[in-house]
Amino acid sequence: MKFKSLLLLSLSVGISFSACQKDFLEKKPIVGITEENFYRTEADAIASVNAAYAPLQFQLSPAGHFRWFWGDIMSDDAVKGGSSDNDAFSLLQLETFKGPTNTDLLESEWGADYEGIYRANVVLERVPGITMDETLKARILGEAKFIRAWNYYTLVTMFGGVPLVDRVLAPSEYNISSASADEIWDFIEKDLTEASATLWKRSAYAESDLGRITQGTAQALLVKTYLWRNKWTEAKTIAEAIVNSNEYQLVSNYEDIFTLFGENNTESVFEIQYMNRSGGNWGKNNANEGSLTNVFQRARGQFAGFGFNIPTQNFVDEFFKEGFEDPRLKSTVFRVGEPMGDRGVFTLAATGDLPYLYYPKKYFNGKSEDAPFGDPAPNGGTNDRVIRYSDVLLMHAEAAYHTGDEAGAKVSLNKVRSRVSIPNISATGNDLLEAIYRERRLELGLESHRFFDLVRTGKAPQVLGNLGFKAGTHELFPIPQSQILATNGALRQNPGY
Amino acid sequence: MRIFISILLLAVTLSAHAQIKISGRALLEGGTEAAIGATVQLKGTNVGITTDLDGNYSISVPDQASILIFSYTGFANQEITVGNRTKIDVILAESQSQLSEVVVTGYGSQKRSSISGSVSTVDAKEIAERPILRVEQALQGRTAGVQVAQASGSPGSELTVRVRGVGTINNSNPLYIVDGIPVDGLDFLNPNDIESINVLKDAASSAIYGSRGANGVVLITTKGGKRNQTGSVSYDAYYGIQRANRLLDLLDAREYATLQNEAYLAAGKTPLPEFANPEALGKGTDWQEAIFQSAPIMSHQLTFSGGAEHSSYTVSGNYFTQNGIVGGDKSNFQRATVRVNGSHDIKPWLTIGNNLGFTWLERQGLAENSQFNSPIIRALNIDPVTPVYKADGTYAYSNYTSTDIANPVNGIEQTHSTWRSNRLVGSVYADIKLGKNLKFRSAYSLDATYAIQRGFSPRFDLSNIPSLSDAPAPEKQVINTVFVGNNTWRNQQLENVLTWQKNYKDKHDITLIGGTTALSNRYDGSGGANTNLPSNDPKEAYISNTIDPIASQSAYQFASESSLFSWFGKANYELNEKYLASATFRADGSSRFGKNNRFGYFPSFSAGWIGSHESFWNIKAINFFKVRASWGQNGNDRIGDYSFTTVINNGQNYTFGANENITNGAVALSAANPDLRWETSTQTDIGADFELLDGRIGFTTDYYIKKTTDMLYAAPIPLVAGTAPPIQNVATAENRGLELSLNYRNKDHALKYNIGGNISFVESKVTGLGRGGEPVFSGYVQSANANASKTDVGQPLASFFGHVTDGIFQTQSEVEAAAFQSNETRPGDIRFKDIDGSGVIDDKDRTFIGNPTPRFTYGMNTDFSWKGLELNIFFQGSEGNDIYVNTIRYDFTYVNRPSSALNRWTGPGTSNTEPRVSLSDPNQNARVSDRFVEDGSYLRLKTVQLAYNLPQTWLKKAKFNKVKFYVTAQNMLTFTKYSGLDPEIGSVGGSLEIGIDRGFYPQSRTIMGGVSASF
Repeated sequence: MKFKSLLLLSLSVGISFSACQKDFLEKKPIVGITEENFYRTEADAIASVNAAYAPLQFQLSPAGHFRWFWGDIMSDDAVKGGSSDNDAFSLLQLETFKGPTNTDLLESEWGADYEGIYRANVVLERVPGITMDETLKARILGEAKFIRAWNYYTLVTMFGGVPLVDRVLAPSEYNISSASADEIWDFIEKDLTEASATLWKRSAYAESDLGRITQGTAQALLVKTYLWRNKWTEAKTIAEAIVNSNEYQLVSNYEDIFTLFGENNTESVFEIQYMNRSGGNWGKNNANEGSLTNVFQRARGQFAGFGFNIPTQNFVDEFFKEGFEDPRLKSTVFRVGEPMGDRGVFTLAATGDLPYLYYPKKYFNGKSEDAPFGDPAPNGGTNDRVIRYSDVLLMHAEAAYHTGDEAGAKVSLNKVRSRVSIPNISATGNDLLEAIYRERRLELGLESHRFFDLVRTGKAPQVLGNLGFKAGTHELFPIPQSQILATNGALRQNPGY
Repeated sequence: MRIFISILLLAVTLSAHAQIKISGRALLEGGTEAAIGATVQLKGTNVGITTDLDGNYSISVPDQASILIFSYTGFANQEITVGNRTKIDVILAESQSQLSEVVVTGYGSQKRSSISGSVSTVDAKEIAERPILRVEQALQGRTAGVQVAQASGSPGSELTVRVRGVGTINNSNPLYIVDGIPVDGLDFLNPNDIESINVLKDAASSAIYGSRGANGVVLITTKGGKRNQTGSVSYDAYYGIQRANRLLDLLDAREYATLQNEAYLAAGKTPLPEFANPEALGKGTDWQEAIFQSAPIMSHQLTFSGGAEHSSYTVSGNYFTQNGIVGGDKSNFQRATVRVNGSHDIKPWLTIGNNLGFTWLERQGLAENSQFNSPIIRALNIDPVTPVYKADGTYAYSNYTSTDIANPVNGIEQTHSTWRSNRLVGSVYADIKLGKNLKFRSAYSLDATYAIQRGFSPRFDLSNIPSLSDAPAPEKQVINTVFVGNNTWRNQQLENVLTWQKNYKDKHDITLIGGTTALSNRYDGSGGANTNLPSNDPKEAYISNTIDPIASQSAYQFASESSLFSWFGKANYELNEKYLASATFRADGSSRFGKNNRFGYFPSFSAGWIGSHESFWNIKAINFFKVRASWGQNGNDRIGDYSFTTVINNGQNYTFGANENITNGAVALSAANPDLRWETSTQTDIGADFELLDGRIGFTTDYYIKKTTDMLYAAPIPLVAGTAPPIQNVATAENRGLELSLNYRNKDHALKYNIGGNISFVESKVTGLGRGGEPVFSGYVQSANANASKTDVGQPLASFFGHVTDGIFQTQSEVEAAAFQSNETRPGDIRFKDIDGSGVIDDKDRTFIGNPTPRFTYGMNTDFSWKGLELNIFFQGSEGNDIYVNTIRYDFTYVNRPSSALNRWTGPGTSNTEPRVSLSDPNQNARVSDRFVEDGSYLRLKTVQLAYNLPQTWLKKAKFNKVKFYVTAQNMLTFTKYSGLDPEIGSVGGSLEIGIDRGFYPQSRTIMGGVSASF
């Protein structure tokens, strides 16, 4: 009797618990949104594509890009610099082509690129299902396709064939092996072609959206892609489409391009946006919108920088080859005796007695432009000028030359030259091609183009041979060793490493 | 429900019938002293009372065959059959044996002799032997298999407690249960309130705690009053002074300048003009003297306890305050506690009770154990040339510092960081007797904490010429900042347990326990910050005291919840007090587990054989012998509240627009894992207990193998995934250990003594890390800009990993003959071993260079008592563990060095261990290497206490029960080869941060005097 009621009691306690147990044990995050509740509104779509932009800003480890590490330091235009050889030693090894395969610098690049690809893939998978303005949706999908293509462009130009990830991977799919470089290039072409069809023109964006990917951005990267693949006709066609869109004009004063008010100017085709915010900036996901490029490239000592990306004598000499000082030099390089903005005059003593005679200028920021307060080496806010209209013109010139349109090539080339009031080029044949190449070095100096231009045009072995560059190997960087290990060898090391 | 209660009443009424009343007096051995509070129990029932202040008792028994059991802690039990007597006086004989000790186990208690698992106990008497500041200290060196180390010497800081080694790379803290309430941390608990601490070590004992028991379970019972006990008032107080144990021998100003000059010359630079004549600089500043000070410690406790026939209570209040030996009141810890425990028989079948504890505590915090900016790191590294004060009495700054290493005295003064918490931990329960053998307990408990954290970082500027602001960055702060954080935790538990206990024919003892627990936790946090307050007074540091617009304020708020619902059961069977068997089972459903694994099931079995109770046992010397074996599984559920879901992370921002607007971006940063589950630990234990010479010698040993599987680890995934790796149940580890404890006690003569010792060997290693098995690096060392610890398959957790030194290059030809290290390697630099034989010294030449986990830890305790005098000597030690010394910031050129730097290499043959001095360390002599690995073994005289109890004859006149005066010295002697401030270094910052000295806040040497009185 007693037992029965007891049993009843415990059963009723038990049952009442079992009944509410499902709810009792079901705890969803209270703060923060779970994936199931997201991707429902226009605002969600915009936020998700914004997140795909964010890895463009990542710098340093564990994921991030310093495009000038690869474009400038690896080339004949600049050397690593820093306080000594030991300051970022692996960068020294890379630029002298003794590259270690296990440096976190390459791993960070690889990681940041694939993080961007993942986020673009999320947009491309989730946003189509959102009910929203279709034009805006098309633009957002275009932005995501561009961002995916841009990250692949970085990967393929640095590493060659890499894993082709066109969707959000399930854990079982992580051990993916590399596609061929051609497959990657095809994928980039496809994304960019589709993106340029749905992206808005630059002029269609509101002022508050300045800095977003435009139709012109996608077309310009497509031109670059065609140049890498020697698809001259296609390159020329698209480049002309950009020119004829009248969306872009060269800025009249070259030195204005790299000032604070020169950000997102009329010749800006693709610019990675930064602003002068400090704090928590040495990691990735909290980049806080500031750029470390400013502090890295500033001189040490009183200029409170780290003194990286030091221009070479060879580079400076290039500006004097036409018998006069190319006016762009003074916007590209600081020389001893020149004032470094509001930070004082450049003397060797003021840089802490380091022997460097030149410092890069395009990413210099004044003290007044530093992040207002925070760490002793505050972030700058200088945008990373990735593609400028003059680059498009010079790419057009190159494409036109290769399709036999030397006249068209010269028109574009001389547009770039006349902006800085230097004599037109009248050369023909190979001299014209060399003039176009040289113009790229001067016009786009220290903007992270040089090493890739040398590789693309096949000039790297000749120009960089004395630094250790070996043809057949150093066109590509080594695949980060950690990634070969992490995929249990599904990835293969590039030849020669 | 009403029907149920009436049935209950009926059952109880039916069992009542004619009774015989027995009374008498219980006296202690010798026959003069009353046994106060001794238990008199009717055998085979739960009926019992305790004796009063004169030892008198009175109890009703059903018939003449009834047997009374007289028990008193520390004395042998006596069973007396009533017969025709109505007055029974007993004299209790002092027991040497510990076997009758009652051990609290999960959801019940057992006699020590009946236990077939592995449980260690520390009782109130042992705790009372010496003042302890925190509860965890009571376990240190007292319990085999429990490793306790101070995670910092700063007042109020947590101790690292590891039961049977570290079995996981995740949270390794044991589960703490106080009066049935699971709690986080023990800082709220006043050690004087503790009745007993039982540590469930093997899985068979802890498996009843299911998914939370894998790191061992510590059960703490607080003191309650006893029935029929005359009320007593006791007062306990002590006061002490703490001092630094030792200071390091560092370079003085002359020596510092001499070495700096050498470094400049070696780098081809002109030495600094102010160091031209080092002798003129004298000894300079002793920065350690500047920050270390003697600091007071004090405790006052008042306890009221007593009991009537149907009720008992304890009410206590305590106030404790301790200053730090670094920072004084800037690292002060204060705690005030009030405890009200009581139990009341409302009806013959119903007892209700409560255990309520309220704690207020306040802790001032300094940066500690940080290699960047803690006062200790600053004091060890700042140059001795700089004085503490300028001529005008304000703080001076160092001309040589650029970051981190600032004036530590000013740094302490500018720190204003307070943690203040109000915490109520309490439970109310009802015990219902459902019959002779059946009990039901329902308990509701609440652990509610409100804690506020306040911080203020004032404006200051140590510049000599303020207009030039010439002080380096860490010596000035142009903007002040205020921070506040509010935290509330609310954990509620409802537990229902049914216990059935029966003895059949004095042969079969059966206990069955079954129950359910529902636990829900919620955390709420909010706070904010502001900068640029007009006032620089910490008293006026409130966010709203601002001149800036509201935009300068920041705020945050978050909350999280978790819940646990469990079923559990336990069966104990004992045959003839010879054969023991026990089984437990628990089913845990947790909101933390992924939806595919919501419930976990945890079984255990154990068995024991008491050989000495067999009739054929004829070894007289061994009066007790038991062997036992157990097997069980349990889990570790500390895996974060929502790890299984994919959370969209806001704040993945980008800047757009002409006005540079930060625009929100949102994406899931890590992949979800709906399969997420608890970590499982499977443990097998075999053990034996012996008592020799009538309990004078006690010996216990255990050997165990503990395997952790499904260990949670975010194993690195290929970066192509684009997300952080999902947390997965992938890693495995194994611990094996041997525990021995031996005790000899002799109470035969006026000089009574007890000598005990225990030793625990643990060997733990990681056996799998999932996926590619990539090792985990931890233990970041700033001076080398690298990690010093590596956790790899087949190795102990967080083993030191680095280069191996091979002497010093004496000549340039030696440099050239050796593997390439750097272009700038010179004679006087360290030669590192080319382990892979590649001809180049690089990361591949690193190997395992030390193990931070001790091979064994041990404790030795000796008590003597003679008349009213008591002497307690307690040693504790650790053997075979290495420490990575990371107290000198070699990444800076200007920092001070240990005096050993005077033995530097200055030319061929001058040194083969201490490298040349240099400015930029081009050869990276400071890289992670065995140069910084030291033997961290130590033996420490933790406590010596001498106490005097006033004689009973005096006390009687003054109506006192007890008056005791004592003097205690803590940490008086430390035997170690370790060169740092303190070898006793716990785990700071997680299970993989072990044994790295980053300027450890050392424990103090403390002398205390105290009094303990009751009437």
